[in-house]
Amino acid sequence: MPDLLYMEKINKSFFGVKVLNDVSFRLQKGEVHVILGENGAGKSTLIKILSGAYTLDTGKIFIEGKEINMGSYGPEVAAQLGVSTIYQNFHLVPHLTVAENISLSNFPGKRGFISWKTVGQKAKTVLDDIHFSLDPNLPVKKLSVSQKQMLEIAIALSKNARIIIMDEPTAAISKREVETLFQLIEEIKKKGVGIIYISHKLEEIRIIGDTITVLRDGRDVGTLSVQNVDLNEVVNLMIGKEVKSTPRTLRTIGEEPFFQCDTLSISGSFHNISFTVHKGEILGLTGLVGSGKTELARAIFGIDRFLSGEISLNHQSVHIVNPKKAVQYGIGYLPEDRDVSGLCLNMPVKDNITLVFLAKLKSLIFSTMKERKQANQYIGNLKIKVTDMSQQVKYLSGGNKQKVIFAKWLAAHCQFLVLDEPTIGIDVGAREEIYNLIYDFVKTGHNAVLFISSDIPEILTISDRILVMSRGQIVSELDPHLTTKQEVMTRCLNLK
Amino acid sequence: MSEQETEGRKKTGHVLSIIQNLYRQQSLSMLFILIIMWFVLAFLSPYFFTINNIFEITLQSAVIALIAAGESFVIFSGGIDLSVGSVFAFAAIVGGLALQSTGSIFLTIVAAILAGLFAGFCNGLAIIKLKIPPFVATLGMMGIARGLALILCNGVPIYGLPAGYTWIGQGRVAGIVPVPTLIVIFFFTIMFFVLRNTRFGRFTYAIGSNTEATRLSGINISSVILGIYMISGAFASIAAVIESARLGTMQPAAGNGYELLAIGSVFIGGASIFGGEGNIFASLIGALLVTTIRNGLNILGVSAFYQYVVNGLIIIFAVAADQIRRSK
Repeated sequence: MPDLLYMEKINKSFFGVKVLNDVSFRLQKGEVHVILGENGAGKSTLIKILSGAYTLDTGKIFIEGKEINMGSYGPEVAAQLGVSTIYQNFHLVPHLTVAENISLSNFPGKRGFISWKTVGQKAKTVLDDIHFSLDPNLPVKKLSVSQKQMLEIAIALSKNARIIIMDEPTAAISKREVETLFQLIEEIKKKGVGIIYISHKLEEIRIIGDTITVLRDGRDVGTLSVQNVDLNEVVNLMIGKEVKSTPRTLRTIGEEPFFQCDTLSISGSFHNISFTVHKGEILGLTGLVGSGKTELARAIFGIDRFLSGEISLNHQSVHIVNPKKAVQYGIGYLPEDRDVSGLCLNMPVKDNITLVFLAKLKSLIFSTMKERKQANQYIGNLKIKVTDMSQQVKYLSGGNKQKVIFAKWLAAHCQFLVLDEPTIGIDVGAREEIYNLIYDFVKTGHNAVLFISSDIPEILTISDRILVMSRGQIVSELDPHLTTKQEVMTRCLNLK
Repeated sequence: MSEQETEGRKKTGHVLSIIQNLYRQQSLSMLFILIIMWFVLAFLSPYFFTINNIFEITLQSAVIALIAAGESFVIFSGGIDLSVGSVFAFAAIVGGLALQSTGSIFLTIVAAILAGLFAGFCNGLAIIKLKIPPFVATLGMMGIARGLALILCNGVPIYGLPAGYTWIGQGRVAGIVPVPTLIVIFFFTIMFFVLRNTRFGRFTYAIGSNTEATRLSGINISSVILGIYMISGAFASIAAVIESARLGTMQPAAGNGYELLAIGSVFIGGASIFGGEGNIFASLIGALLVTTIRNGLNILGVSAFYQYVVNGLIIIFAVAADQIRRSK
């Protein structure tokens, strides 16, 4: 019997960076196949190729032994072939009822008039088919997250889905709902549907998974059966061999607390976060997607208001109610999505560099000559590659864009930088330059950095101290000189 | 290579890039079109190229140019102000009522400008506090301000303006240069420097380019947006003062459709509909072009009804040109 799905030697590059390298993947009927890997290992790229959202560079896909013509492959073709993705942001129309959503793509009826009776019947069959008891007349917006998820699965099955992709389906649902979801998964396995399951929660993979494929740096590094699997072995596969971290120049870190968080909480994002950053220190903060680290960064910078807790700078309690206040206190922020919230893309490099400086300026008028001089100085110091300072930022490479944001905060003489994934999507050479900028920034001993990254080797190289966040809490503090990649990953996954 | 040589090379490189930049700018091609149009019209009608008519064009374009100056700030910030035509009438009527009750020319102008500032303030407030998109907020104000203008004067135009007031619209300095033309030059020069050399001006562009990034750079975007719409209102009222002075009457129905002309002028100048880019002098060229087309159509005896069609087409083509330029 041929495999339900066989992806053969899939290759994919983005802007010259290889994201998938000869990845092969097999899925059988009635199997829950888990894909594991660190952030950036290529999991989501692989499933996006399968669902038709991305096109592959080279490789073949077979469904039930039949090769798929990749030239015309896209989301519609994927759906016709029975490949269905259950997204976290739902495909459902919130104001319509369950029954209407089930019939949405193909309303039964005659001459443009809908036969509501058939709509109701169809809903009943679809829901009964998977033993899912739900009132078909309920508007979808009133359903819980897991109910919506299961409804999506039901709809996918009603459209003859043979392969269902679930990306972190248990990320936002309660323990009891997870059990119901797992029952449903068992149910649809019996129908011969294959399920590709992506999750970071190793303990639930043991319960629901049949097979595990581990991806690392865009390669498939192993496929194992879940039975008798050793989770430590899985973690080893995920992170690979221990690489020697590059030696760092020793710096003296001040004893004085510089920036302190005391029991910060935002319900639903993180709670009871307390930590101290000293002058001259680079504090690393890591955790998986959804661990709350980005939310924490946003709260520190005054973008989202925290419900309880206190922040102090140099022993003085400060009230950071908005980003403007944060900037006045000398805090800078590099958002993880630099194009969306870090840069004015169609403005000149010069204007981007001096923006925060101007925001802090007291006088109404500024001298454009001084401004040009200042911009020029930072373009030179940070070696930003531009044709001239009036070049629009959108034409720069990722690394140079990031340097422009750096220059923006340096020009404003900020003292505490919150960096959220500063090297995401940046090539290796430019990464080194960014690291050196960070070192230069703290070298003077007056400044400090909160370095947030889910890239564990990077966190180990850069940080003076590492905090690990998991499910909205700081679960451990590690010394990068004494810990290992494996230990950090284990803590991120919250394993014992 | 000596240091001087490198310096020299850098300079020529710099000059080259400036020329390339200019070539890419829509405003320059529009200036070129404007000049060609003047020649064609001069050829078609001997009347066109008289010194009188040239000043007539600058005079006629003064009103649209000033409204476009305010509209430029709004469009550079990524917004749009549809209310300028109605605010124009509202400000004129408020000024007229002030004139009737005080008789002071100075207070008339002050009252008109305050009325414009107030309308702009309301627009800004609706956008930042009620979180209404600028299109909708100013569409509402378009109705409100027009209604208020009619209510305040019971729909009856105000006549009998003193000579001192009408001089603002009809007077000529040295017997040749119209006063409105000088007012335009004065305000455009000031606003050019406001956009170039003040924090407010820079933040206007930054908000247009990326509101979120601007906010995260520690800028109070609410106050900047409020200021932008107040400037737009103020310029609508300055334009209203000039037109009422020129025609010798304050009309509650005045300014109808002027928003179309002003917005068109800014887009012809090459401003992006997405904000973040634009040059105020380019908007002036846009206003001159719009007025020239109107003037030309008048001289050629084309019905005023067709002029609306032409104005609409101008906006569509100006924005289309911008989109094509951007997609390259």
